[in-house]
Amino acid sequence: MPHVPYNPKLLSAIVDRINVGVFVVDRDMHVLVWNYFMESHSGRPAEKVVGHDLFEAFPELPKKWLERKIRSVFILRNFAFTSWEHRPYLFRFRHNRPITGGADYMHQSCTFQPILAQNGEVEAVCVSIFDVTDTSMYHNRLQATLAELREMSFCDELTGLFNRRHIEHHLQREFHRFKRYGSALSLLMFDVDEFKAINDIHGHLVGDEILREVAKRAQSCVRGTDFVGRYGGEEFVVVLTNTRCKGAMVLAERIRVAIGSTPVECDQAKVPVTVSVGVAEAEAAAMQRHEALIQCADTALYESKRAGKNCVTIYDEHPNAANG
Amino acid sequence: MNSTATNLVETYQFDDDEQDALREVVNIAMGRAGASLAQILDTFVRLSVPFVHIAGVTEVSGAIGDMLGQETNVIAVRQAFYNSLRGEAIIIFDRKGSRALAGLMGYDKRTDGYIEQEVLLDVSNVLVGACLGGIADQFDMQLSYYAPAIMFEGGSVDDLLKEDRVPWTHALLLEIEFEVEGSGINCHMVILTPEESIGLIREQLHTILESI
Amino acid sequence: MAIPVLIVDDSAMSRKMMSRALPAGMDYEITEAANGEEALSAWHAGKGDIILLDLTMPVMDGYTTLEKIKTESLDAFVIVVSADIQPKAKERVKKLGAVAFMKKPIDKKALATVLKKYAPLQ
Repeated sequence: MPHVPYNPKLLSAIVDRINVGVFVVDRDMHVLVWNYFMESHSGRPAEKVVGHDLFEAFPELPKKWLERKIRSVFILRNFAFTSWEHRPYLFRFRHNRPITGGADYMHQSCTFQPILAQNGEVEAVCVSIFDVTDTSMYHNRLQATLAELREMSFCDELTGLFNRRHIEHHLQREFHRFKRYGSALSLLMFDVDEFKAINDIHGHLVGDEILREVAKRAQSCVRGTDFVGRYGGEEFVVVLTNTRCKGAMVLAERIRVAIGSTPVECDQAKVPVTVSVGVAEAEAAAMQRHEALIQCADTALYESKRAGKNCVTIYDEHPNAANG
Repeated sequence: MNSTATNLVETYQFDDDEQDALREVVNIAMGRAGASLAQILDTFVRLSVPFVHIAGVTEVSGAIGDMLGQETNVIAVRQAFYNSLRGEAIIIFDRKGSRALAGLMGYDKRTDGYIEQEVLLDVSNVLVGACLGGIADQFDMQLSYYAPAIMFEGGSVDDLLKEDRVPWTHALLLEIEFEVEGSGINCHMVILTPEESIGLIREQLHTILESI
Repeated sequence: MAIPVLIVDDSAMSRKMMSRALPAGMDYEITEAANGEEALSAWHAGKGDIILLDLTMPVMDGYTTLEKIKTESLDAFVIVVSADIQPKAKERVKKLGAVAFMKKPIDKKALATVLKKYAPLQ
């Protein structure tokens, strides 16, 4: 309660013309006050709105949610708030960017204030609507820029290995070199066995920890010139330049053992982890593009899964021949 | 924390009577907050015994770190208040329980991330308004509130309080826990007011103690 | 003859407020307890013809204390004085057999009205 009796005319002028939407409703959701901001943005003059049911006058409002929100202020005698981050707007008002554009409607954050009667009961709720379109646009632009940055980086956040985009890029280059100069090129593709089950049993945090550990163990097996990356959720690849099938097989087996020999220790559990591995060597005749090499490694990986997991399969054009 | 700072915090500590009185004031305010929450959720809310303490910066960030650090699946909401008292409330929810909260508040089953956040902001707002409102009423004070905001979602605790950049040396720390019975919904509320407000609270506590 | 009144609350200030709220003109023998355990000992020692009981206490809370007392003696005259004022708290307390549920800070007049139900005083 103001201790100094303000000039009501002055207050009235301020509330009416302040650059914030102000309207007041009583317990029956009838509008008691409708200021100039509300008038000019809604196109509805005060005479047409005051005294009417808010939701009848504005059927586009999310009645169920908004009514509950306002009622909670009457019941709990508490302030309430809404943020554009969760509800971009209450009213469909046009924003202040008729030329520059960028948003569909004005984005709004709102405050709901209890107005107390002499007896301490809430007799009305005053709603203030703030135009936050600029804030929300800056925020969205920032998010988009961050997403772009993330995309442009080479590494996978979780494991620190190269990300898929970079793998494709690198493999494409190496394949091109292979085609041109005839140097050997092999690809290893491996995948954590039963990963979905592990996540379901131990939770995603343990799952993440396992991926990190698998990445570490794989990296510890490779040479400087080899390239380890995270291809998918629980899928990894190793690009081996100047390496033939036999050499790739040796490395594949080394990785398989490094990962499978001891369980991964996380806070809550010791989880045994194994991987299935597919190995493929680039063949000039059979492969025209780098995708073919990936496809073959993938097929070999699939064979490993079928063969009972925790094993290595080399891609063979004639699958009935013996595998390593 | 160096020894001069420790001594400073010592001299600002409440004595037994003041602590007791403040705990009772907070108890009564919590009762109001619990009742408000129970009303909107239509359930029973279990209230803890409040912890009341004047703490230096390191202790405060340590206390918050403890509450956040143990559970990696938490969301924290921050809401500031001003007027007679200035300060911030931090409400920490366990993620698992918070999904059930949306259901209790009548949101439909599809709890996407935004709905979950909105629900937590609403619940925090109810708790802060009722609890601080209850304290303000008993102290014959006026309080106003800022909108609540998501402060922390499974990130790093170090980002929360920059120990070398806060404008206070000690603060009043109130720790309260609410649990919605049988649902796993559980939240901790920490209310912090910096030293400038502590003097005012001390005065009010004496007014209450002398009136008995 | 002094009426044994047992006041149970973990807050010293609250216990003081409750004893000040007792209606004048009567002799009381007041015993204070800071938690449920202490309360039960005092009650077993015959100190609690009238019991004023807080709900939120450490060691043993008010609900448990009330339940234990009521299990042993259906006649026990227990008034719950609580900061926790949610409707379900009141329900629970009434179900457990409390004579009354009063909110804090305790109101002298309200307490006097409740105590009218205490037979030996009538």
